[in-house]
Amino acid sequence: MILRAARSEHATGWLFVAPAVILIGIFGVIPIGWSLILSFQHNDLISPPTWVGLDNYKALKDDPVFTESVKRTIVYTLLFVPLSVGGALLIALALNAPLRLGTLYRTAVFIPVATSTVATGIIFNWLMEPTYGVINYLLSKVGVGPEGFFQDPDQALYCIVAMTVWGWLGFNVIIYLAALQGVPEELLEAARIDGCGRVATFRHVTWPLLGPATLFLVVWSTINALQVFDEIYVTTHGGPLHATTVIVYYLYQQAFEFFHGGYGAAIAYVLFAATLVISLIQLWYGSRRVHYTS
Amino acid sequence: MRRLVSALALLLICLAAGCGGSSGGSSGGVAKVVMWHGFIDREGKALKAEVAAFNASHPDIHVTLQNYGNADFALRKVLTGIRAGSYPDIAYLYGSYAANLANAPKVVDVKPLSTESDVNWDDFWPAERQAVTVGDKIIGVPALVDNLSLVYNKKLFDQAGLAYPTADWTWEDFQAAAKKLTDPSKKQFGWAYVADGGEDTVWRFDALLWQAGGDILNSDNTKAEFNSPAGVKAAALLQQMAAVDHSVYLDNGNGNYANLFNSGKIAMLYTGPWDLSGFPDVDYGIQILPGDQSHATISGPDQWVMFDNGEQRRDAAWTFLKWLTSTDQAMKWSLATGDLPIRASQTQQPAYQAYTEKYPGIQMFVDNEENATKARPVITNYNEVSAAMGQAIQAVLLGKAQPQQALDDAADQVNTILASGQ
Repeated sequence: MILRAARSEHATGWLFVAPAVILIGIFGVIPIGWSLILSFQHNDLISPPTWVGLDNYKALKDDPVFTESVKRTIVYTLLFVPLSVGGALLIALALNAPLRLGTLYRTAVFIPVATSTVATGIIFNWLMEPTYGVINYLLSKVGVGPEGFFQDPDQALYCIVAMTVWGWLGFNVIIYLAALQGVPEELLEAARIDGCGRVATFRHVTWPLLGPATLFLVVWSTINALQVFDEIYVTTHGGPLHATTVIVYYLYQQAFEFFHGGYGAAIAYVLFAATLVISLIQLWYGSRRVHYTS
Repeated sequence: MRRLVSALALLLICLAAGCGGSSGGSSGGVAKVVMWHGFIDREGKALKAEVAAFNASHPDIHVTLQNYGNADFALRKVLTGIRAGSYPDIAYLYGSYAANLANAPKVVDVKPLSTESDVNWDDFWPAERQAVTVGDKIIGVPALVDNLSLVYNKKLFDQAGLAYPTADWTWEDFQAAAKKLTDPSKKQFGWAYVADGGEDTVWRFDALLWQAGGDILNSDNTKAEFNSPAGVKAAALLQQMAAVDHSVYLDNGNGNYANLFNSGKIAMLYTGPWDLSGFPDVDYGIQILPGDQSHATISGPDQWVMFDNGEQRRDAAWTFLKWLTSTDQAMKWSLATGDLPIRASQTQQPAYQAYTEKYPGIQMFVDNEENATKARPVITNYNEVSAAMGQAIQAVLLGKAQPQQALDDAADQVNTILASGQ
């Protein structure tokens, strides 16, 4: 009797989650599994595929464009994560203080997140336009430039960093603001009574309590940075001269411009493995350092 | 609880039914034809009108239009449809996909059909016919054609005291004019070039290469030939103008050049009829491209491709396509949209006069179609060939490489790509 009730509850439960399970299955699990198979094939997405074993993975090793794209992705990630998380912390600390027009500032900071990437791309494309752009105009007023920005192979990647940090900062600020609200007032007060200055209070009370938020943001931003694509697709198309061809852009180019589906899938799985390892290291390190309040 | 469960079950059944709902064959004696396209605005309306007229005059066939959105991604959508077993009878696809389509399942080879007497196949422009011919197959029917011509701002020429470009213009004339029309203090450029390294970069170079007497690949598409003296000469022209004269606005692939031409910041463009509607503020003239050994231009034909959904639908689709691309209907289409004639015989039609009056300057593009004698190689890995060439041309434009060296490096890459023989 009890067993039957349990079983029927079990079935009902499955029915409740069925829509989500079906959607995730069709658009998530099945493609992920299929692309693993794809990565062992020579597959132009048109004619019948042939099985090539590990050839796609072996070819990656000798592909200079792929190697360069990995280096570029690492450079991008090492710049994007500290700038977007560190920058967000500073802004959140400033906005957490009681300010006149505080809501206005908070909204302003969040607007870039709500703006579509395509719109952001068009705006930056014109701002950083070498001949007619506002930034070069302003630089010329102080006797600098003109710079090539997106059109200069030595600058393009840093311009992408600037654009994406601007675009993601607001999200990180919101997370930090929420975490700052969670710092108990009595702890700050106790620190003050014990004679801590503002810096010491931040270092010994606030910063440790922001640990979980910081860990989350670092892991999340790293994953985002390793997979950066949209902003590059709408501005530089991986150029000039491959200067912004990061891993996912190269993957896209191989799979959808050159129709090397198998090779693209292999790149995706290498990236997936790398992301997994990096995230696990971050979480492991975080679990030893981060304090969770009860 | 029971009621909720059955509601969920019902929902699932509806979802499942919805998925399969798009399939289905003929209803009774009326043959169904599904056509996928990406036309909007003027062209979208024109296509709807054509289909309505066809359906009214052909009671035994019913054509349904489905818009697939951006044509850039159409091939992927069609191929996905074929895999899933639910695909159109006709789809509008870019000319550059021809070689890939020749290997795709379900694509109807229209070669046997193209010889039917009422098709008059040779009436299509040569560049169109070349673009749909892959080996001994014909993978589609020409749908749209355009070519690159020289579009110039008359006012800027007048201001500089220069005579308008003529049909006899040489590269030297062009380069000198571009230099004179450049004024850094006004941020004004003589010419614009799309320098993103993509196909937009490459096809303008192709025209120059052909004008100098060169070719992209050898005749059996096994080896690169664009690093010939002709290719180096073409790349050197770009280098001279972009990196020495600085008379070229380098567009990073986001189409800024069109807005800048419309605001009088750029004096000359190599572009096609599709851009003209973006220049309402400029009194522009149109001329064939400046020449070297020839005044060759490049044409970008797109096509209607048929997919096999069984005999009845295939026959009906062919009847419709034949009708749609006939001289009469094609002329109606040109008149409504401003697109170039897809058939030479359209220029003999009475309505052609009205067409050239309605779209001033279009005559030059039509005439220029005769200079589109060569086509890009129809090979499956063309995109890779193009990407390698694009990097070389971009490097030259940005002053990061010398023409010979850049083209030789690209040729090595292309030879490797061609040798891998996919």
